[in-house]
Amino acid sequence: MNDISEQLPDQDAEAAAEPGQARIEITGLGKSYGSLQVFKDINLNFGEREIVTIVGPSGCGKTTLLRCIDGLLPVNEGAVQIDGDEIAQPREGVAMVFQHFGLFPWKTVEQNVAYGLKLAGVSKSEIQKKVPEYITLVGLGGFETSYPYELSGGMQQRCGLARALATEPHVLLMDEPFAAVDAQTREILQFELLRIWALRPMTMVFVTHSIEEAVLMGDRVVVLKGRPSSVFEIIEVNLPGPRDRSTLGHPRFAEIREHVWSTLMDEARAAEFEVN
Amino acid sequence: MNKVISLVNSDRTLVRWSTVIISLLLGAAIWEAVGMSFNQAFMAPLIGNEEHPGTLPRLYVYFFDDEEYLLSLVQSIQLFSTGFVLALLVAIPMGIVMARLITLRIALENYILALYVTPMIALIPFILSILGFDFWPKVLVVFLFAFFPILYNTLEGARSVKPELIEVARSFRSSELAIWRDILIPYTLPYALTGIRQASGRALVGMVAAEFFLSTSGLGEELITASRNFDMAGVLATILVITGLGITFMRIAQAVEKKYSAWRGVDR
Ligand SMILES: Nc1ncnc2c1ncn2[C@@H]1O[C@H](COP(=O)(O)OP(=O)(O)OP(=O)(O)O)[C@@H](O)[C@H]1O
Ligand SMILES: [Mg+2]
Repeated sequence: MNDISEQLPDQDAEAAAEPGQARIEITGLGKSYGSLQVFKDINLNFGEREIVTIVGPSGCGKTTLLRCIDGLLPVNEGAVQIDGDEIAQPREGVAMVFQHFGLFPWKTVEQNVAYGLKLAGVSKSEIQKKVPEYITLVGLGGFETSYPYELSGGMQQRCGLARALATEPHVLLMDEPFAAVDAQTREILQFELLRIWALRPMTMVFVTHSIEEAVLMGDRVVVLKGRPSSVFEIIEVNLPGPRDRSTLGHPRFAEIREHVWSTLMDEARAAEFEVN
Repeated sequence: MNKVISLVNSDRTLVRWSTVIISLLLGAAIWEAVGMSFNQAFMAPLIGNEEHPGTLPRLYVYFFDDEEYLLSLVQSIQLFSTGFVLALLVAIPMGIVMARLITLRIALENYILALYVTPMIALIPFILSILGFDFWPKVLVVFLFAFFPILYNTLEGARSVKPELIEVARSFRSSELAIWRDILIPYTLPYALTGIRQASGRALVGMVAAEFFLSTSGLGEELITASRNFDMAGVLATILVITGLGITFMRIAQAVEKKYSAWRGVDR
């Protein structure tokens, strides 16, 4: 498996270096729940085959933003466009990995992973071929016939990831997909995901609480801040070559991490003073 | 002492089954003793003797030497199943529809709760005097006894469907029909089955009650005839039959419920 990813560093670097034309275009986006305005005036472009990570304090509207991009929520101002079409409801080729996993408790791992394929009208034989592939890919081999309640949180999250990946989306929206796994598994999954991405590059919007993860995974890091929140900063990561363990030791990695950290820390301090 | 307690509480199959059998034999012995020492008009023994035949011999006669009794039994089962199946067919879809159409639910919720707690037996004279006494009004009685527990539980289940799952379905571009098939029905099923188990007990009461009033029929008629003749063995034999039916329905419902509730492993 590792062989394949080693054959592809060029493609990886290329895709990271010059993302294609904007696949997702967010203009003047604002969203309120009743009187609570979550965010306002968000302008973002996500290129084809680009990985953009989004960080921001808890409650700043990261999940809400992903829901708007997926077409699950109506927006109040502005618009989200994917490939030039305004999004009003979920669109083909866009898949989401949910923070709440959203697995069907009465379905086995296998059946959960097959769910999206079935809805897309993929043939039975094709489903039988693909499902085990993606189960293996996320490292759930041997748990095909387990039910979600028999899995750990991290395993459930991987099952949700496999379900989204199986539909082979062009746009993958991920809401803290590795929040429930331990540090080691998390690292394995991060590099696995990058490997999967290198095999089949797609536009990826990746929400995370972990600054390290944001810098490691992202071509760009979007920092959301404020109340209502808006885009505070967009950081070009441009770390060299395919990301791997050595990336974590790169001076530029540490530099960006510290930068994002202090940005968010200012906000946290400000919030604290407000409370006091 | 500890040894005795742990032996008593052990769940080994042998201990279990011997406990069950001893308990049943003891119950039978008490019944027999009480029956033999009472006047025949008040209490029949379980087995009895030559001049004082008890409940089990009567049961034997009913089942192997009394075609009319078997007809009554069939009649009762027909009544029960018709009312019960109709209740199922109406209550489950209605419960799910009401979970999806919130206004409908709000409009009907109070009536449903009220009727769920109303002792249906109070409505029987009313129903029978308006609609008459033949088969279908009786079916309606059984239906009403079974309907509300099923509806109430189905509705509770459908209401508690996790919005996150609907969100997932929408994200994968599911049609409304597929949302029913993939989420609403499987999610609601265990709740509905709880309702069905409750309903099977209630429907049995409804069945006997419907058969008691005015135009008697089926097992209810057998029960009334026997008690008018002070035939206690007959009364108790029929009660045993009804109890047997009740336990059978209950056990079937329980087994089905268990099978389809396995995924609620976290609730255990
Ligand atoms: N369905 C809803 N109705 C009303 N308010 C909501 C709803 N969903 C979220 N909110 C509110 O909107 C704000 C943003 O929520 P959101 O879940 O998008 O935050 P988040 O950035 O994803 O947080 P976290 O990092 O903790 O997941 C919060 O203040 C939350 O209380
Ligand atoms: Mg969130």
